[in-house]
Amino acid sequence: MDGSQASRPSRPSRSRPSRLVGTALRCYPARWRRRHGDEAAELAALLISDGTPAGSIAWSYLAGAARAWVTPPPGRRVSTVACALLAAACSLAVSAGLLASTLPARASSTGSSSASRAHCLSGPVSPVPEVVPVRDHPQAILWEARHDRSC
Amino acid sequence: MAMSRQDGKPGQDVLRRVGEASVLILISLAGGHKHGYALIQDIKELADVELGPGTLYGALDRLERLGLIESLPADDRRHPYRITGPGADALRLHLDSLERVSAAGRLRLRLSGI
Repeated sequence: MDGSQASRPSRPSRSRPSRLVGTALRCYPARWRRRHGDEAAELAALLISDGTPAGSIAWSYLAGAARAWVTPPPGRRVSTVACALLAAACSLAVSAGLLASTLPARASSTGSSSASRAHCLSGPVSPVPEVVPVRDHPQAILWEARHDRSC
Repeated sequence: MAMSRQDGKPGQDVLRRVGEASVLILISLAGGHKHGYALIQDIKELADVELGPGTLYGALDRLERLGLIESLPADDRRHPYRITGPGADALRLHLDSLERVSAAGRLRLRLSGI
């Protein structure tokens, strides 16, 4: 059976797939778009003309694009891709950690002057609970450590 | 003898890890070359499975890279695909394996009397 001849509906080949589908197709890697982009757009147009909702086609292409990005290209081993993903995850984690470490400092800087003073008092280091008003929150309890050095 | 371009060892069932969509595509292409739309229609008829276009092209891309299918010159903007010799061998091997597992499963069910 020649399937390319069989079951071909009326030719909507000049009709464009919806903008949604076009956006989803742009999410694919360039290599994939060069290889399959035209025919994928053509297939989407055919399916839409058959009554398939453009949204479900776009969703299918989006999921496919995600898979295409994580699937290693020919000649590249899985370990390379895994390393790249791991590096990306690590950099995200470091960024999140840095962000988290700056938050208490910001919170204390927006607190009352007594809180700032408590932080800079001389004496042995010991955790002291402080109720400090923080922006966007009614109040926050901070455990401040006193130390001998001046800020 | 099933062999692929990338990870082909003679006699190895390379279709074990490619997923159901890829196997269905190969079965469909065993009946003749088809483009994407015809593949979706045929697989729906054959197995009552509706392949999404994203799944279809993911599987086509992978099968092509494995050397199990090849695309023919474009007809308008559509590329018909056809199964290659190694693709047919891989499909035969995979179906044989499925048949053995299926027979064993049926036998066990019969013997257990469930």
